[in-house]
Amino acid sequence: MVTVMELYQLLPRTNCKKCGESTCMAFAVALLGRKKNVAACTPLLEVNFKPQKEKLESLLLPSAGAEETGLIVHPELCTGCGNCVVACPVDVANDPHGAGMGCAPTNDKVIFKVVDGKVIASNIKECRRFGKSRVLCYACIDPCPTGAIEFV
Amino acid sequence: MSMDIGKFLKSPEYEIKITTYRDIFQAEAMERDRFGEEYKMFSAAISISKIDMQKMGLKTKDRVRISNSHGSIIVEAKEAKKDEPGGLAFMVNSPWSNSLVSGDTQGKGIPEFKNINAKISLSKEEITTLETLIDTFTRKSITV
Amino acid sequence: MVTCTGCALLCDDIEAIVENNRIKETRNACRRGAARMKGCVNRLVPSIDQQPTDIESSIRKTVDIIKNARSIMLFGWNNSTCEAQAKGIRLAKKLNAVIDDTSSFCQGLLIERILQKKLRTCSLDDIRNKADVLVYWGSDAQDSQPRHLSRFSYFPRGESRQRGYEEDRKAIAIDVRESNTAKICKGHFYRIPLKGDREFILALIEALSGKVPVYDTKKMLELAGILKKAEFGAIFVGIGLTYSIKEDFDILIALAEKLPNFNIMPMVGHYNMRGFNEALFKETGFVNRVKFEKEAIHDDKYSIMESLIEKNIDAIMIVGSDPLASLPRPILKDLASIPVVCIDPCISMTSKIATVTIPCAVTGVESGGTAIRMDGKLIRLSKIITSGYMPDEEIMDRLLEAIS
Ligand code: SF4
Ligand code: SF4
Ligand code: SF4
Ligand code: SF4
Repeated sequence: MVTVMELYQLLPRTNCKKCGESTCMAFAVALLGRKKNVAACTPLLEVNFKPQKEKLESLLLPSAGAEETGLIVHPELCTGCGNCVVACPVDVANDPHGAGMGCAPTNDKVIFKVVDGKVIASNIKECRRFGKSRVLCYACIDPCPTGAIEFV
Repeated sequence: MSMDIGKFLKSPEYEIKITTYRDIFQAEAMERDRFGEEYKMFSAAISISKIDMQKMGLKTKDRVRISNSHGSIIVEAKEAKKDEPGGLAFMVNSPWSNSLVSGDTQGKGIPEFKNINAKISLSKEEITTLETLIDTFTRKSITV
Repeated sequence: MVTCTGCALLCDDIEAIVENNRIKETRNACRRGAARMKGCVNRLVPSIDQQPTDIESSIRKTVDIIKNARSIMLFGWNNSTCEAQAKGIRLAKKLNAVIDDTSSFCQGLLIERILQKKLRTCSLDDIRNKADVLVYWGSDAQDSQPRHLSRFSYFPRGESRQRGYEEDRKAIAIDVRESNTAKICKGHFYRIPLKGDREFILALIEALSGKVPVYDTKKMLELAGILKKAEFGAIFVGIGLTYSIKEDFDILIALAEKLPNFNIMPMVGHYNMRGFNEALFKETGFVNRVKFEKEAIHDDKYSIMESLIEKNIDAIMIVGSDPLASLPRPILKDLASIPVVCIDPCISMTSKIATVTIPCAVTGVESGGTAIRMDGKLIRLSKIITSGYMPDEEIMDRLLEAIS
């Protein structure tokens, strides 16, 4: 998963405010949350920033295999432990008496499900990282013992 | 340098302390096929801290002979994924690690499965198979 | 919903999708459980002296062996239903046999003390609903009981733990290795040297008693502070701790006495080890290592290890276990030098040297019954598909019939 710092380091870091944000750091946060486009930073369009701009664009591009919102589960790493199933706040909200309590999900509104010993993600549009009031949620990444979940 | 000389001599031997652990991927492989390649890959391996690998001049995927008075096996060495302070190496509990465990329990019935002292050295031989491990104690070899 | 027998968590919330009498897909089972339910690639076939035969001949030969042995051991049992275990114990009684199970070189010391009520314990459901401090000690649950943290301990919202794990619970790992479980207990991982558990416990007892421990004082006081504040704590005792303090196991009782708000949970691997231990305990007052004569005698010399070393058994019947794979190499020749009967669904190392093999059904998939979860709860096992294989309970019936 790309971090704010990685994005920040590729920006001009002049805090010129041309992007509409008060600092380059704020712009980096906005980029990560996909609230702004790389193109909004006009100084980046200058030739000497070309490699940085391309790098930024590639980092922010959902990579192959990613769902439209950028969530990837690496099935070869997943142990099927279900930590993410139970910890994801969306799963808790949508299935408080199933997944939320550590039991098998009782409906299809959850994001994570374990099939054949590995997690598959669905309903990704519900993920808190996306949508109107997005937040940088780590609730499925932190509890994963093997780093099987990634956002790109 | 001593290491270059080592190349022409017998590979240098180092003392090593080993403990065992469980691994879900190995357990999965065992459920499928105790004699399969996958099970062998996860079991016939030793993971060693970066510091110790450097000290012993080993690289990931090198084959090593590990032996003590209880047994001797050839397994693959790999650098521990997590930051380990060194001094202790790790093997997934399996017939391979059990080959190095003492049968003496001081009358108490519980072997020191997780507390193994052995010698380790670089080896060119093939990784020990489960079949060889069985061969060493089948009826045939007993009557010999 | 069916039950997984991949480990002693006995997850009973599994969905199995069956097609053509085969499990095509599992839902909710972890990686290990899924593999277990789908089955092994090499099923065992009946054999005598490593020559294939039919199951009736195998059973007849087994009857010969168990009748003629002067001192036979019946071993294994941790992958059998409670029903099969009960019959196995009955068989041992009738044969004046030695009976032992894998707990003998695993969690036996711990389960014994729990059944003797020397250690406080509780149910996994209590932990889900109430526990606020969780200590994984010498236990890598993520790899051995993979759904332990998600179903019961750390992640679920329980009755009095509604706010989620970050706020309501603390998970601590004490281990020689930064295991996958330790990784999740971020910030609360205490690394100890190999065989260092005893010293750690002594220092912790000091810290809990208000003394200043000599051993890593700062971390020890911090840990004691967390444990003291616990409303409802649990110590998950893994095989790492049990092995490390086996010479002085009662030190754990001393620690537990200093922690009145804590319960001890045995982290059992094999799905029905606790079932066997409870059944034998009920019958004899001991969890393993028993010889039946006029009465039941318990002695360390009746452990599988000592019995083989001292050569005081002259045949062994092994049910659902692979001691050739799990025992130290130096005694395997002793195991291979006596008649071995191997009852198992799959080809194992032991089956490859066995005098007689009897294939059986995979419990929880091809046959049902009951088993006892690590916390002592009785769980029903399901028969999901039909197969021609005999459940081990039925094999015990056949043997009981033949010897009476
Ligand atoms: S326009 Fe670019 S350089 Fe200017 S503040 Fe925004 S990010 Fe920084
Ligand atoms: S980022 Fe948060 S909301 Fe999104 S899937 Fe992960 S846990 Fe759920
Ligand atoms: S937490 Fe990680 S390993 Fe566990 S089920 Fe989720 S993705 Fe798989
Ligand atoms: S945690 Fe154990 S019982 Fe539960 S699904 Fe995994 S292997 Fe089966």
